Amino acid sequence: MAHHQKKDVLMTASRTLAEQIASFWRRRWLAIFGASVLFVAFLLASPMVLGEYAQQILSQAFFFAIAAITVDLLWGYTGVLTFGQSAFFGIGVYTVAIALAYYVDGALATAGAIFAAMVGAALVGAAVGWLSFWDRATPIYVAIVTLALPVVFTQIILSGGAYTGSSSGLPIPVPFLSITEWYYIAGGLLLLVAIGAYVFVSSDAGRVLVAIRENEERCRYLGLNTSRMKIHLMTACSAIAALSGAFYVLFSSVAAHSYGDFVFGTELVVWTALGGRGTLIGPILGTVGVNYVSALLGGNLPFIWLLFVGFAFVLVVVYLPQGLVPAIGQGLSTLVRPIRQLLNGGWNAVAAGAPPGAAGAAVALSSTADALGQRRSMIGAPDEAPVLELRDVGMQYGSLVALHGVSLKAYRGEVVGIIGPNGAGKTTLLRCIADGRERSTGEVLINGHRIDRLPPQRCVALGVSRKFQTPNVFDALTVLDCLRVARSYREPTSPWRRSRTVELPEPALAAVEVSGLTTMLNERASHLSHGAKQALELAMVLAQEPTVLLLDEPTAGLTRDERAAIGSVLTELAQSHRLCILLIEHDLDFVRDISTRLVVLHMGRVLLDGPLSEIADSDLIRSIYVGGTA
Amino acid sequence: MYTIELLDVVTTAGILYIVALGLLIVYGVLKIINLAHGAFLVLGSYAAVIATWLDWSPWSALVIALVGGAAVGAVAEWRVLRDLYVRPLDTILATWGLNIIIVQSITLYFGREIQFAESGVTQAVSVGGVTYSLYRLILLLIAAVLGVLVWLLMRRTQIGIVAQAVIMNEELAQALGINTRLVRFVTFCLGAGLASLAGALITPLVSVHPNLGVPWLINAFMLVMVAGVSLGNLALAALILGGAQVLVSSYGNPVLGSLTIIILAVIILRFRTITT
Repeated sequence: MAHHQKKDVLMTASRTLAEQIASFWRRRWLAIFGASVLFVAFLLASPMVLGEYAQQILSQAFFFAIAAITVDLLWGYTGVLTFGQSAFFGIGVYTVAIALAYYVDGALATAGAIFAAMVGAALVGAAVGWLSFWDRATPIYVAIVTLALPVVFTQIILSGGAYTGSSSGLPIPVPFLSITEWYYIAGGLLLLVAIGAYVFVSSDAGRVLVAIRENEERCRYLGLNTSRMKIHLMTACSAIAALSGAFYVLFSSVAAHSYGDFVFGTELVVWTALGGRGTLIGPILGTVGVNYVSALLGGNLPFIWLLFVGFAFVLVVVYLPQGLVPAIGQGLSTLVRPIRQLLNGGWNAVAAGAPPGAAGAAVALSSTADALGQRRSMIGAPDEAPVLELRDVGMQYGSLVALHGVSLKAYRGEVVGIIGPNGAGKTTLLRCIADGRERSTGEVLINGHRIDRLPPQRCVALGVSRKFQTPNVFDALTVLDCLRVARSYREPTSPWRRSRTVELPEPALAAVEVSGLTTMLNERASHLSHGAKQALELAMVLAQEPTVLLLDEPTAGLTRDERAAIGSVLTELAQSHRLCILLIEHDLDFVRDISTRLVVLHMGRVLLDGPLSEIADSDLIRSIYVGGTA
Repeated sequence: MYTIELLDVVTTAGILYIVALGLLIVYGVLKIINLAHGAFLVLGSYAAVIATWLDWSPWSALVIALVGGAAVGAVAEWRVLRDLYVRPLDTILATWGLNIIIVQSITLYFGREIQFAESGVTQAVSVGGVTYSLYRLILLLIAAVLGVLVWLLMRRTQIGIVAQAVIMNEELAQALGINTRLVRFVTFCLGAGLASLAGALITPLVSVHPNLGVPWLINAFMLVMVAGVSLGNLALAALILGGAQVLVSSYGNPVLGSLTIIILAVIILRFRTITT
């Protein structure tokens, strides 16, 4: 019966799915097409109004804006604060300048030089990424490296003597193009990069970037190699910054070291912050606005203007961290809300056929039936191997010993309740299972594999998933996107496609359904109730298809009903899907209801370990939970 | 034989120590990276220029710098940083914004050209058979004195002990009723004042212009990142990295020398396993 219902969900889901995908693709490409048409029209029409000077200023600003887009991708979307994009811009400037000044000429060779600049910058970017992003790097470290990079670059240029032009700049022979032609080229290049960046950030991979910004640790525990993703992003952004630098020097005909220096690097960050980080359009408008005005002001006014920019920057950082463009957008949207409501009314009337609740999203079941079948076939095997084995695991923080030689075996289908007073080492125990670098001594085996010193994302691959004590979801993403990110460990994410569905394994889908998240798929995770966040995180963890599930107080702060719902999901997981669940819980009644076995930890040692029926009523447990001496 | 090199190494370390001290204190207590540190150095240098204009003793510049830097720091903490401590990455941006504001204000008033400031000490002395700048030796002495003063301040005074508590465990300090807000305010003022004082002290060694702060800021920043929050580590880092800089500059290539601190710091921070 239950199976039939699920099938219905599946069919409804796939029906709405097709409609939703079609409408979304229409909307996304319509937005790109509309914006492109508007921009191209502006570009073609503006030379009639704008003088040559203004066109020159705007061309320069367009090239800078491309570099600002790369800052936005790294910092605004992914949370990597970088002062070093100027260095990649500078690599573009000098690679092309030196090639044209000394070695080659002609259109084809120039294109080759631009390509070489991009490859060179990508290599440097990959090296910087490798240096900056390792598992335990602080967010400050990448700021240090990217701050060092432009300084090193500038010193190299300055020490190059006549070869690099040192501090007086390197003039180069450039293809003669009119100012308006350059204006078209700069605008066209900006448009292409902006479209590419927009497609990327609105794709599935773009969602993962935001997830990394929001909570990198959670991403790692979802099996994602975030360091590698950031290195790839850094590499790509370096190449794009070099592309803009390469075109810029062809346009300006002089290579100057200031285009690769630290101050220019910080200016890119300032323009991005002013316009609005994480919006793409904000950094573009910020860059163009600041550069245009500062060029229009002559004489002593630039200093006043820079002072004004400094004040504006501080004010934005303190009071409008999202930047000016989103703030203006919000202001406008309150103004036009009545009109929009009117329009939306019309839309809704058109879309009245669509079923409510499933608005804009759908969840489809995955076909993991084979794996499940295999698991089921193992039920009742008497000499089944443990899926989790701890051998003499110890954990020490300085002189404090949190775990003393804990040994433990757990099997499929077991729900092991880990109980004990505060400070008994319960959370530490889960940490040592989910992260190979945590424990001080001993060995942990997952499905027979040693976890050695593997980082969390590699432990996930062995089959262990961990839910944190406080709900850890990606606040800026929708429920559906959170689930998608959680699934991206199993399914490769596309850097351009945006899927509106997610295929979940049955247990994860069950968690979504019983908690009522199905109706909130397009809700931002930050808007969810505490209970819904707990359920969402559970579903995200289950989407990994773990064999060993580590739950740290999954019912903390939940209502009675929510608790019962989670309890039934967990029981079902252990019984039908043969998961091995380790559960930390303070609510003894809940533990009694769903555990098959209890482990009592005290002062970092296992005091009791046995089937629920044997030890649940022991004096020891009563003394721990009711008080008194053990 | 190597007396000059030895003197260069220790005096360079002393100068770097003086310049990085204010940044270290702010980083230790407030847990923020003050990118306006360079601007406070510039403020101090222009204090020396003003003292020259007014025909005051060059030593009075030190007092002007300390007081002026602390005052500007007070306004900055009060108006800008106070509500930002919960967003550490944004404090980096806000202090860089402060840097722009201070540097541009100075540029507006003094212009971009190089200014002249009178030096209190211009003599050279004979040390171990070589003639050496007396002023650099005095700076070494001042570095030691400042180090001891700050150490005494942290260990022996009420505010210092409270600041230590905040460094070790801010939440606990707050729970114990310590006014962490006041601690932060005083610390930032002290850090800004010390930076400004450092700016006045290095004036005779550099040419004074509005952008002199950036290279010093970057070197100081790297030293503090390597040293963590300990005064002793800072001295050690200044000696080793500063020493390496001097040696690379004199035996290798001056350009490489100017990059020594940065490159070594990046490598040390990447590959060291112990955290400070």
